[in-house]
Amino acid sequence: MENTDIINLWKAYDKKLEENLILNRKNAEEITRLKVQSLLSSMKPMKIFVIITGILWVLFVDGIVFNFFKIASPFLIGSAIIHVLLTKLAIGIYLYQLILIYQVKINETVLATQDKLVRLKSSTLWVARFSFLQLPLWTIFYWNKSMLEHGNIWLFAIQFIFTVSFTAISIWLFFNFNYENRDKKWFRNMMSGIEWTPILKSIELYREIEEFKHEGVPQ
Amino acid sequence: MKPDLKSNEFLEVVDTYKGIIYKVANSYCTNNDDRKDLVQEIIVQLWRSFDRYEDQYKQSTWIYRISLNVAISFYRKQNRRKAISNPLSDSILSFADTSPVSETETNLALLQQFISELKELDKALMLLYLDEKSHKEISEIIGITETNVATKISRIKVLLKQKFSSR
Repeated sequence: MENTDIINLWKAYDKKLEENLILNRKNAEEITRLKVQSLLSSMKPMKIFVIITGILWVLFVDGIVFNFFKIASPFLIGSAIIHVLLTKLAIGIYLYQLILIYQVKINETVLATQDKLVRLKSSTLWVARFSFLQLPLWTIFYWNKSMLEHGNIWLFAIQFIFTVSFTAISIWLFFNFNYENRDKKWFRNMMSGIEWTPILKSIELYREIEEFKHEGVPQ
Repeated sequence: MKPDLKSNEFLEVVDTYKGIIYKVANSYCTNNDDRKDLVQEIIVQLWRSFDRYEDQYKQSTWIYRISLNVAISFYRKQNRRKAISNPLSDSILSFADTSPVSETETNLALLQQFISELKELDKALMLLYLDEKSHKEISEIIGITETNVATKISRIKVLLKQKFSSR
């Protein structure tokens, strides 16, 4: 079939639609009478809540660090500082997402709108990756001078194993918790019960957008 | 604008361009229930954007942009959130054709199947090409340069010909 035949086939389809497609005016009118939300409105309250809660938490921990800096165990203070830094990064991502939500306009060009939408969805993966980096802190924060001075060899051995394992796992997850590993069994097991499909599809679409933009453009 | 006047004008626009909405929904959703939801969501978003329509672009450009953006985003929703509290039980758009199946219908079904197998952005491009939109209008809808449109349309034409030749 030639392309002109295909176009004519589509024109015939168009004509048929014109003759037979019926608009249920009553139902369409109902939409105009109700208060309807934008595509992304439902995301705003949770993002705002997380940002506010995150900022309050960060201020609280910063307060503890500032007030107890000289008297608390250096392990507790160090862990708290790293934890707060990672939390601030996560808050930054949420802020970025909230800005994108306000910027998205459904009546813009397809590429402009979809580009923002995929960035919005796919940046959620970064929040998870930063959270993994906090794992080793939970094996260190309770260390203190007394423990180091009076602990026995078994305590140190167990602690060492825990801390090194958690550090290795967190670094490995930070680098490997990504789209490329979406089909791996461990990834799917971790994500069971959480709806990650929209996020993964967003990343897939992001790659399609990049390929689409650069196709035919001289490099 | 008074609410009734605005509502009536909006309904006229939807009635005029219902073919575009139907074709987009049909291409992006093969399942009937999903298609019904998608049509409803497209009309919801058209209504929300109605006040912001800029007449520097054709109305069809505006309709295509919103319809395609909603359709492409639709599958990524975690839960099929209903933008209105009570989803409509009946379709907003229905197709009343009862004519017997002909060879044309078979070829059309093949074409629609082929379109549904394309990637999201290629699907949009295909729809616009088949609707004989100019390169300028395709560029305004998709958001790429006219030169880029020409390159992609050439690829689409080759793809179409290959698909039908192989059947």
